[in-house]
Amino acid sequence: MNRRTFFKSGLSASAITGSYLLFGKEGVALSGSAFFSDIVPHDLVAVRGGEADLMFDRGIDALGGMKTFVRKGETVAVKPNIGWDVSPERAGNTNPGLVRRIIEHCFDAGAKQVYVFDHTCDNWQGCYSRSGIERAAKDAGAKVVPGDSESYYQSVSIPGGRSLSEAKEHEIILGADVFINVPVLKSHSGARLTIAMKNLMGVVWDRGFWHSNDLHQCIADFAAYRKPDLNVVDAYAVMKRNGPRGVSVKDVVTMKAQLISTDIVAVDTAAVKLFGSEPEAVRYIHLAADRNVGRMDLENLKIKKIAV
Amino acid sequence: MELKDLKRVRIVVSILVFVVVTYLFLDLGNTVSPRLSSAVLAFQLLPALTKTLVSLGLWSIGAVAILAITLFVGRVYCSFLCPLGTLQDLVIHIAGRIRGRRKFRYSRPEYALQYGILVITLLLFAAGSLFLLNILEPFSLFGRIMQGIVRPIIIAGNNLVGLLLRGLDSYAVYTIPLHAPAVGVLGSTIVLLLALGYLSYYHGRLFCNSLCPAGALLSLVSRFSLFQIVVDRETCTECGLCEKVCKARCIESKQKRIDYAACIGCFNCLDACPTIGLKFAGLKVAREYNHLPTQETGRRRFIAGSALALGGAIRTGKDSASAGGPDSSSLDARLAPRQLTPVTPPGSRGVAHFTTRCTACHLCVTVCPTQVLRPAFLEYGVVGLFQPKMDYWTAYCTYDCVICTTTCPTGALMPLTPDEKKRVQLGKAHFVKDDCIVVDKKTDCTACSEHCPTKAVKAVPYEKNLRLPELNNDICIGCGACEKACPTKPRKAIYVEANPVHLQAKLPEVKELEQKEEELKEFPF
Repeated sequence: MNRRTFFKSGLSASAITGSYLLFGKEGVALSGSAFFSDIVPHDLVAVRGGEADLMFDRGIDALGGMKTFVRKGETVAVKPNIGWDVSPERAGNTNPGLVRRIIEHCFDAGAKQVYVFDHTCDNWQGCYSRSGIERAAKDAGAKVVPGDSESYYQSVSIPGGRSLSEAKEHEIILGADVFINVPVLKSHSGARLTIAMKNLMGVVWDRGFWHSNDLHQCIADFAAYRKPDLNVVDAYAVMKRNGPRGVSVKDVVTMKAQLISTDIVAVDTAAVKLFGSEPEAVRYIHLAADRNVGRMDLENLKIKKIAV
Repeated sequence: MELKDLKRVRIVVSILVFVVVTYLFLDLGNTVSPRLSSAVLAFQLLPALTKTLVSLGLWSIGAVAILAITLFVGRVYCSFLCPLGTLQDLVIHIAGRIRGRRKFRYSRPEYALQYGILVITLLLFAAGSLFLLNILEPFSLFGRIMQGIVRPIIIAGNNLVGLLLRGLDSYAVYTIPLHAPAVGVLGSTIVLLLALGYLSYYHGRLFCNSLCPAGALLSLVSRFSLFQIVVDRETCTECGLCEKVCKARCIESKQKRIDYAACIGCFNCLDACPTIGLKFAGLKVAREYNHLPTQETGRRRFIAGSALALGGAIRTGKDSASAGGPDSSSLDARLAPRQLTPVTPPGSRGVAHFTTRCTACHLCVTVCPTQVLRPAFLEYGVVGLFQPKMDYWTAYCTYDCVICTTTCPTGALMPLTPDEKKRVQLGKAHFVKDDCIVVDKKTDCTACSEHCPTKAVKAVPYEKNLRLPELNNDICIGCGACEKACPTKPRKAIYVEANPVHLQAKLPEVKELEQKEEELKEFPF
């Protein structure tokens, strides 16, 4: 019984009993695998110059295609940033074209089901609809799942967490075989920048706890607990100020870039530089690197740069 | 078509209206456009009249049409268009099933009580309180029953189905958050529903002829109806069937007369009459047929009732005056100390406009996508009973959402365009620095600034590389995003204090952003 089938059978039972206690331990036991990082030919792929979907085609190709990550019959959780009720040109959410293309690649690789969700900040229906992501994901055949009710989340413990020792994690992340993290690169008031690790805040229920208990440490703690199998950073349009919500389209510059990596720390480090800032300024990246979640030393990594 | 068919027409129309209005309150997916819903509700008498006092529109036509129809044939509104009336008919129908075929008997209408309540209602209205309307206005009471009692049950059912479907890997039915109800509001609604149920179960449409202010108003108008139902003294066989089916209990069959001011126009009598003993007659004839043998007494009773009502009104007025506006003792301890007045919804222009126009139907609460609009109990004081407020503990107001403003049927909320709404300042943010996580724990937070749609709350450099919220209330719109996001407990370090009168916020300044050339060429790693 693999993780998915275990989860599925459990969920059916739990839907009737209303008990979710079971899944906490399950989540811990299988978390933090660094499997894919050993088999990919590059530590980081940086693509530049094309439309978001096209850049992904080229980028994933350099990593051996989506079949490297998704095997036939597996389920995939795609977690974009859908935090805000703003239109795509405001770059407050992940590029919907990119989300669509990632889902298509998953199905091409033989995925049985692809789920898309975010625990949004603004009203979830507004976010899902205005971002264009709901439409894009449904068109590509994915299941769009809400994240606005505590009933979708299950308690997990975060071993080794310094500030965060437990959290309630969305059942889709707990149940999927493959977890693809698709953040958008943005400025951010409290976290300085929101990229891949910060995007994981959208898979838990109680964000207020993170904010009131050393935000940066909590981000690093959770990244150590649940490393996505693949991180795709959307830097096609980048909100340079007033993040994470932004005030107007004038906050956004077009960068036409994309970063893909199995290493969440490396991809965040590279994204900070791409943004024009210094990784030293973003504390959670250091904290995660200190816990060996990933590597900040880009100079020692195998980086593949692609111009489209 | 014969006169007998009028009953069937009434049943069809009333059920149609009932279903549509009920759907407005139970529409979990917000599928009804505000335009459609306001077109339907333009034909609810008191909301339409109240809204007409604010501005003219379809609702004014609706109100005039209802009064005109009443002046023509009587209070058919009560049987055709009033959803609370149909709800009572439902109870009466069930009572008939349970207790056997109900036989009504004539009962002298409580005109004194009825008009007394109307007089107090109007006096209070003139004094700036909708206190009695907020309890008794039939559409609004119906709305509160649907929103407060029926809707949560439907949502619970929805969530149960959603949970079961998730077991089958389907998310087609999503969970809708159920917020804890305001105990005072829910309790009052249950009591009123039980009272209404009791009255209709045992006494037919007594509510409409004693407590209902809309019924009272139409009753007065129907005294002058050009056409009224009369008992034809020639053809009537005195079988008494009309009296037995009269839910308003206004037919005195032995006397062959009808208290037409109490007749709710259900037309049961026309259907029941085995001969053609009932007919419509002109006002002059009707006056003669239906005249009260004891009119003198009636008038005296009315005057006595009015005097009683007046006394009551004065006392209620005193109560509300002594309360001195919002009842501070009812405020929650979790609120910041200075936050005494509730924030009123967008489009309400401020506390004064809102509390003098809102009849507490809770349709805005129903349609609010974030549920930031919640029913209040006594937060506006006794005078503003049940009127909704912005609850920034539960949620915040979406930046360009205007659904409530375009839905309100009474004019308490006037329509705003999204661009207008972005500049309406409901209140101003207040920052309590010492309670802030950043100052208290010396760690980053600024969740308030993250959520702020105008960046009226900015994160500015603070000691040790931290960032601290800083306010610019010129561009704050009082949406409550900062307050909702603030994680401090039990009190928020940032909260919105209401503007008693809504103000105009400045638009956030938007500067051009320069993009460096190199950002488009080389990767900096």
